[in-house]
Formats: sequence, structure tokens, C-alpha cells
Amino acid sequence: MVDRKKKDVVVTNMKEEYIGHSIEVTPFADSEIEGGSLSMGSLEDGGPAGAVPTQMTVSVEEGIEEGAEMEVVEMKHSPEKKRKVRIYSQKFRKEWIHLKEFQGWLTEGITDDRAHCTVCDKELLAGKSELIKHSRGKKHRTLAAKSNPNPPPVQHGLSRVIDEDGMPHLLRIVDLRSDTVTQPSREMKKAMMEATLGDDVFSEDPTVKTLEDRVAQMLQKEAALFVPSGTMANLICVMTHCWGRGSEAIVGDQSHLHLWAQGGMAQIGSVHHRTIKNLPDGTFSLNEVRGLVRDEHDAQSPLTSLICVENPHHNAGGKAIPLNWMDELGAMCSELGLPLHCDGARLINASVALGTSPARIVQACDSVSLCLNKGLGAPMGSLVIGTKEFIAKAKRLRKVLGGGLHQSGIVAAAGLWALDHVAPRLSWDHTHARALAQSVCEEHSSAVTVNLKDVHTNVVLLHCDNIRVNAKKLCQRLASVTDEESEELSEQIVVMALAISDTTVRLVTHCDIRKEDVRSATRKLKCLKYSCR
Amino acid sequence: MADVAEKTTNGNGDGGREEIKVEGEVKEGGGGGMGVGGGGGKTRLVDLRSDTLTCPSAGMKKAMVEAILGDDVLGEDPTVNALQERMAQLLGKESGVFVPSGTMANLIAVLIHCDRRGCEVFVGDNCHIFLWEQGGVAQFGGVHPKSLKTLPDGTFSLTELRQAVRRDNVHFPRPALVCVENTHNMEGGKVLPLSWLDELAVTCRELGLALHMDGARLLNASVCLGVSPERIVRHFDSVSVCLSKGLGAPVGSVLVSSAQFIERAKRLRKGLGGGMRQSGVLAAAGLYSLQHVYPRLSQDHQHVQIIAKAVNECVGGAVTCDPGGAHTNILMLTCDPACVTPDQFCLRMETVEEGEEEAVGERVSCRMISINGTTVRLVTHNDISSDDVDALVKKLVYVINSLSGSQR
Repeated sequence: MVDRKKKDVVVTNMKEEYIGHSIEVTPFADSEIEGGSLSMGSLEDGGPAGAVPTQMTVSVEEGIEEGAEMEVVEMKHSPEKKRKVRIYSQKFRKEWIHLKEFQGWLTEGITDDRAHCTVCDKELLAGKSELIKHSRGKKHRTLAAKSNPNPPPVQHGLSRVIDEDGMPHLLRIVDLRSDTVTQPSREMKKAMMEATLGDDVFSEDPTVKTLEDRVAQMLQKEAALFVPSGTMANLICVMTHCWGRGSEAIVGDQSHLHLWAQGGMAQIGSVHHRTIKNLPDGTFSLNEVRGLVRDEHDAQSPLTSLICVENPHHNAGGKAIPLNWMDELGAMCSELGLPLHCDGARLINASVALGTSPARIVQACDSVSLCLNKGLGAPMGSLVIGTKEFIAKAKRLRKVLGGGLHQSGIVAAAGLWALDHVAPRLSWDHTHARALAQSVCEEHSSAVTVNLKDVHTNVVLLHCDNIRVNAKKLCQRLASVTDEESEELSEQIVVMALAISDTTVRLVTHCDIRKEDVRSATRKLKCLKYSCR
Repeated sequence: MADVAEKTTNGNGDGGREEIKVEGEVKEGGGGGMGVGGGGGKTRLVDLRSDTLTCPSAGMKKAMVEAILGDDVLGEDPTVNALQERMAQLLGKESGVFVPSGTMANLIAVLIHCDRRGCEVFVGDNCHIFLWEQGGVAQFGGVHPKSLKTLPDGTFSLTELRQAVRRDNVHFPRPALVCVENTHNMEGGKVLPLSWLDELAVTCRELGLALHMDGARLLNASVCLGVSPERIVRHFDSVSVCLSKGLGAPVGSVLVSSAQFIERAKRLRKGLGGGMRQSGVLAAAGLYSLQHVYPRLSQDHQHVQIIAKAVNECVGGAVTCDPGGAHTNILMLTCDPACVTPDQFCLRMETVEEGEEEAVGERVSCRMISINGTTVRLVTHNDISSDDVDALVKKLVYVINSLSGSQR
């Protein structure tokens, strides 16, 4: 239904050359505007000596579709030709994406008067008839019909997927399973490709050396060693500290080393360990640790050789360990003559949360492991940091474990880039995590709860009551899209999360999560009230 | 202070043979000095210490940048999956797993084949697993290695193997696995005869032993024999292949075997710390090298033949070699200790002395490795151009002739 009315249109940026020429108005494809001509003869100019007026108001009789908005149009162009000027522009309407002819390929464009065809990867004018015309075009239909035998994996961001009925869907996927899912950015890849390389097995890769020196300096330790993974970094640290036969390490019972390293300490390292109960804040009782230390004269006991701490503590919800406790622990280890290792996989996050340097946090630690492949966003790699003597032994262990890489500078370069460009923005991940937690808190649901105070870094733990919903069901619900939800949100949002126990779902924000993703995820989380009542 | 050498690299199998000029790195320390003596001028660095020195070409880097990535620990990196499938297919096996190094590939293979306490693995006494992997199979796997005398052609006696396999006695470990290396590095990159491999397989089946091939340079063997890699490893239960050697990728190896074996291998890879995340960026380089570098491996072999021939045409016998024994991209030079030791020879080849530039036509510094009291190893690879080989040959001839003239 088209409303015919007179509209005042403001045309700005008038230039002297245009004055006195007539302008033709081109009808839009989707509107029934009548072509009219504007005469600028009514303009009163200030004369050659005076200022040329930069705008004028013209009246146009036109039919405007409901929802169209007026726009101020800039005039530019050669005065010799008759100019076609768009006087108004149709804005993209979100409800269109549910329409049958637009489903599965239509999304918002870069500006609000544009739409985007994800099949043709093309920006289009946001006019309904124009979009319909595009959908009927041969090229679009051919591309849409092409079935990809090896579709790219469903990844974070906008993804076009085909359901079992062959219906296409455009999903916004927010991958919060882990901060290890981050992809290297274009700039990071550029840094990788421009890195100077050598054979690191011959210790000749300058980029790896630069990274190792940089991280050692950052933590104010003597030396560092680049390794393929955090698991290897921790394994190497434990084995290096526990170099002698019959050693024992003390680790938290909720630590990554104890729970998620496949028992590597024992399996590969032949190191025995005892656990100390982790408190909810990620620390443990120092008195209890004293009680676990073995009597070296007792032939029935292995020899306590190491104490390990994890900072931030992941299972506790990414909690940054209090600084004074770290210092106290360090003092106790010194007194007991035992080395202290810090599993600092996400140490930089802890440093941001505590507002102190990473070096300060690990001041009392003899060795540290640090991951580049988590929140820092590098594709792979971690570092072992310690004294020169420690690193020399660690290097040997790295080789025998099979972690001696050749031109690894290519991935070390990603680590260097991450330290420069991603580390400074880690606080955003924390803000995003808090926003997600807050959205759950605001629902005041007793089925799914979270304690905002527990969110120190980029990890959010959602607790399920296990009556109305358990962790597995919540993850499934977050990852699926119902028709009602789709209608209510005007968007099909999939949030990928991980059930880390029967009752706990973990969300981890990272550098690939944008504001729009957080917005979508919070909207989705709020929508859950329909299912978790 | 080391000279900065300008190193020219070849087309790296990019079809069009683009010449890429690469600035050599200023070496800190390292073996011997470079460019000593003489004044000014650029030195051509010909680094033949190993084929692991290869750097990714522009085409390889492009493939790495464009690769689709995912989290490989979650099994979601399509590029890694593609590489694993490709390699498995090439070798006629069910499945593969991408690992950071050949050392880890071999370690995983041995530990999975010998997965119970008290196992024994039979290896050649000159093989990489036995000599150059820090005893990892014992250190981490509790596996006892029984070494068999390596014959000059890289094989060992099957009779000796039969005699070595002992069972049913509380004094003996449990024989579980035989490992072979193809091409055989320490024997000069020798390709194991196909007939011997087939006979070995029959023997192992009879003896109830699994069979693993350390195929770090398997594709060099395949090119030399003119048979498919699948044919060479047909009877092997598992095979490790390096991408970071002659194939020129920056990092990585692939272990291939049955689907069930590889599932277990993936698990062990994680436990060892080899589980990488967006490793598709490295796997892409591997896929590129299979497509573009593998087809040009024969050139590395030809380069070795050119060098070997030139060495043998020198008089005096200070340094000799056996061109017939150089099957692939490795050449072993034998030094006559009366004239020069391997260390001295390596140092001499790396240095540019007075008057040499005139005789050779340019300043050339060549790096090789002395591997024992009489032998120097050199390895040709993707980053060594025909011009490099020509310059090297001139220098070799000059140096060997001058050494032969001065008996110690």
C-alpha cells in the first residue's frame, strides 16, 4: 500500500556548478514514486561575490513505502549531465529475514539502507522488491542450490547451515566453549608470514628467541622456552623439578594438572603426586600443605619435590588468586626448601583482573607456564619460564617428548603479535563475561544461577539446579533454536557452551567475541526463561 | 663477527621457478666462523647441514594464510583433517594424526605398539629411534630396545632378528615390535630394498611382531625407487612421515595406521603435550608441500649426484665418497684422517680464505655436519638451487685439491 504525499527533502552540499540545472529523480524499484523533476531555479543565490548556499529544500511528490525514511542526500557530480538523485532510502527491516523468499541468505548490510546476500556475498539495496528480484536471479539461485560436499565447519559468527529438511538457516553462532577457539586475525597472519625464520632445533630461529626473551623479561625470570602446548609446558615443568627418581608433587585437587592432563605426570613423567583440597577461591590451606610434605628419611615415602599452583584457577571459575596468598605460599615453599611452579595458562588475565604486572604475581614462583593459544588468541603454543639452568633441562625434555619444532618462528610470531595487540584488550573479555553473567542474574531464575562476584576474568560458570535443568540440557538448549525464540529475537542465535560437570556450564569469552555477539548471547540467555521455568 | 650472507633460494616447486632472494640471518655463535678473511663482498651461504633448514616459500605461506582453521583438540580443524586424510590415502592406510615432530610420531608409535609393561622393540643399531631420540621409548614407555647390527645398505640380518626374538622365559622381555628406517639417515640416506621389506614383513608375521617404519624421508625413497609410497609401506602396521624435512614445511610429521591405532595415537599425543589448537596453519604447509614440493624431490637427488661426481673427480683422496651409495638427498663424505679430520673439513668449507675468491669465482661458505671420526654429512633440499650447487662444487674441488696437496 503506497501513501502518496508531498515530502520535503533537504538536499545539502550544493555546489555552485549545480545551480540552475535540473535534476531528475529516479524512481526506486520497490516504490511507486513518480518521477518528478526538480528545478533549482527557485534558489536564491547570494551572487558571485557572496557565499553560495549549500542547501535547499525541494518538494517532491512521491509514494513512499511505510518504513522508508528520508535521508539527506549529498549532491556531487558533473553539472553537464542530468543527475539521477536518490531522494530517500528504504531501511533494512529485520522481519524480512523470516520471509520465505529471504530465508537463509538475507542479512543486514553494512549501512542501514543496505542488505547483504550471504550466498552471493554481495551488498544490495534494502528494498523489498529489489531483494525479491535478486533472489530470483539466475546467479543467486545457482549459488544457493550448489551443495557443498565439504562445507566449512560451523564456526563462530554468521553461518549458513542446511537443516535435515534441506531448509537453509542463517545462524549467529557465539562460540563460548573455550578461549582456545580463537582464530588468528589477518594482521596476526601477516606478522606470521613476515617473521624471520630459522631452525629452532639448531637454536637458530630468531623469532622464537625474541618471543622467549620477551616473555622471560615480562615475568622477570632468566629464560623461557617455546613449546607446542600448555599440557607440554606443565609436564616439562613438573618433570624438570622432579628430575630424580621417586619424586612427588603436591597439586590442587581441582587443578588442570590433576584433572585434565591425562595423568601425564605419572604416565610420562613417573612422578607421583598428592592432592590438596582447593578452596572456592582457587587457593588451598597452607597448613594442610605442610602436613602433606614427606619425611625424606622415611623409605616408604616418595620425596616431595614440588608444589604447584594454578593462577587464575580455571575450575573455580577463572578466579585470580589473591596476591598476598601467592606471596605467603612462596614464603612457605622457600622455608620448606621446595620449588613452586605456577600453571599460568591464563596468567595475563589474572594480571588484568588484579591490576598488577604478571611478574609481580609470579615473583615467588620458580617456574611458570603461560599459554599463547588461549585468551591471547595465537593459533598454538605455550611457554615454560624459569632460570637458565631450569630452561636448559626443560629444553632437553622438550626434545625427547617430541616438542622440538623446526621453523616454529612462524607460530612464535603470532605469540609476539598477541602480546602486543591482544593482551592490551583482555579487559574487554572480562567485561563481556560480566555482561553475560549479569544477564543471567537479572532473570532471577532459580533454575540457572551465577554469582557475579565470582566472575574475575573471562570465565562464567552457570550453575543448574539439576531439577528443572541440568548442565547437559542447558548446553543443548543454548545450542538450539526454537521457532518462538526465533520470532521473539528476530535472529537465530546459537550459543555454544561446555558442560564441565552435571550441574555446571562454562562460558568463556575471548577476542573473537564482539559486542554484537555478547548482545546476541545475552538476548538468548534471557530467552531461556521460557524453557527453564 | 659473522658475515651476513645472501642466500638465493630456488623456486621451491612453484612451477615457475621464482627466484626469491632471502637475506641470511646473522648467526649467533653456531659452528665455526663465516666469511673469515678477505675484504668486503657478499658470501654465498650454502647450508647443507640438514633438510630441516628449509623455510616456507611465498606460495606455501599463502596457503597457510588462506587455510580454514578450527580447534584441532576438538577435532574441528578441517585443514588438519584434510592433511591427515591425504597422507593416510597416500600411504594406503586408514587414518593419520598430525604431530609436532618426527620424534613424537615415532615415540607414539612405539608406545602404542608396546602398550604393556615389559615390552621389547627390535631396532637397527644405527637408526634414529635408537640413537637420536634420547632413549624416549625407555624413558617414557618402559620399552626395552634390542639393537640389531645395521648393514651398510640400511637393512639388518633377518637371521639375527629371528635369533634375537626370545619368548616364554621370565628372564626375557616380551617381543612386540620391529622398527625400520627408510630412507636410512646414518647410512647415507639409503633406500631399503623393496624385496627385503617384503621378506621382513613375512618374518614379522611369523614371529608375531608388529612392524613400524620410521619414514621420515619416505617420499625420497619413493622417488628414488619410482614406486608409490603405498607400495613401500604396504605391509607395515604404522608409518611416520616428516613434512619438515625434504618436503620443506616448517613444522610437523604425520603418523599413519589403522583407524583404531590412530584414535589411541591421538590420545597419547594429547598426553605428551602434542595437542595443538589451530594447527591447520601448519598443516596447510604440509598439504602444500605434498602438492608442490614432493614432485621436485628428484632434483635434490640429482644435486647430490652432481656433488658426489665432482668430489670423486678430485685427486689425492683427502675426501672421497661413493656416488652409487648416495640414493637420495644425503651424501656422506669420507675424510682421510692423514689429510684432514671431519671437523677441520667442515670448518674449512665454511671459511673463505685468502685467494679463494679468485679461484672459485665468488665467496662461498658451505655448512655441513661431521657425524663421526671420518664422516661428513651433507643434505640437499628445497632451498638449495642449481647455482648454489655449482658454487659449492667449485669450492669443494678447490678445497679438496688443496687439502690433498698438504699431507699432515
